[in-house]
Amino acid sequence: MSRKRDARIFDVDTNFQQKARRPGGITKQTAIERAQAEIDQCRPEFTDWLGRELQALHVAIRQAEENSGAPSLIDQVSYHARQLRDIGSTMGYDLVTYVADNLCDILDTTRAGARYDKDIVDCHLGALALATQTQYKNLRPDQLPELSQGLRRVYEHLKSRQEKFDLADLSDGTTCAPDYN
Amino acid sequence: MKSTAINLRDLVILIADPSPYIGMLTQSMLRGFGATKVLDVRSSLGVMRTLTGQKVDILLCDARLPPHGGLNLTHAIRRNTSNENRTMPILVMCGDTQISTVKNARDVGANMVIAKPMSPSSLYDRLTWIAFNPRKFVDTATYFGPDRRFKIEGYPNGVGRRAGDKAVEIAEESGPALAQSEIDNLLNLARGG
Repeated sequence: MSRKRDARIFDVDTNFQQKARRPGGITKQTAIERAQAEIDQCRPEFTDWLGRELQALHVAIRQAEENSGAPSLIDQVSYHARQLRDIGSTMGYDLVTYVADNLCDILDTTRAGARYDKDIVDCHLGALALATQTQYKNLRPDQLPELSQGLRRVYEHLKSRQEKFDLADLSDGTTCAPDYN
Repeated sequence: MKSTAINLRDLVILIADPSPYIGMLTQSMLRGFGATKVLDVRSSLGVMRTLTGQKVDILLCDARLPPHGGLNLTHAIRRNTSNENRTMPILVMCGDTQISTVKNARDVGANMVIAKPMSPSSLYDRLTWIAFNPRKFVDTATYFGPDRRFKIEGYPNGVGRRAGDKAVEIAEESGPALAQSEIDNLLNLARGG
């Protein structure tokens, strides 16, 4: 059966587009200043949130380890790591985002079939704890090259080991393609 | 991009993110931009419920929105012919910026992708882009959504597929080509002003 048919191409001027272009809009500079002021109001409770989220990450990791890295529990660990990654930089904690992003990549590799490595995960937990301390929280990853490059090397090593495993696996005719959605 | 000012007053903005904290932060940014009607849900089911109950002007949804994923949700909204929100702008928020994720978002009909962690600047830029650079919609058997060819990079493989695509004509060569010395002379003249 052929799925081919002519494309219909048409103009759409949505309510969003019509109204967002009305006069009386806010310029970028003003909008950013106001948005930043709104974010600053969230700052006092952010430290509490960060502490709770790190604790939740610890608990999720211990549960995953006690259950031999069951996929659903790794997903839970991933959820907390993503939260830290997705919020850190917005609140000025670039290092938290960097370390959590590296941890997310490592967890993705684990979900793709790599062996769960407790030492590597613990190393990231330690780095996250460091990244939230007063003297480190406002630093960027490039200001701590030994830490940031070291963590990245750990991930690259894990990934290259996984790729070798995948190639060996494919030669057997079996695959382990992950489904991220 | 030209300088523009965006007016979000009275527009209904729906944020869909599994994280309450990200939802709250995004709301804060939008309030700073002047938005007055911001809704916040945690799942794709929440999005569908909201869309059946009211008109939404723009959706900001996370790529991994549970339980179906934000990309599947976008696809479902675009393919539903009876949904009045079918053409609303959809901005997909992604934690990972892998090219495959961005391509997938584009191919399910998202207007734009924004990387997390978001900054007020990046969010403002994307909203103004959507508002001030409307794109035509394309409806085919396999795709419904904004025209994916909004960066002019030429036709795929140099060949147009649409009826309106004009063939690219290259003129016949006429006269002898310039010698290298002539090209050098021209360049020297240009460099010398």
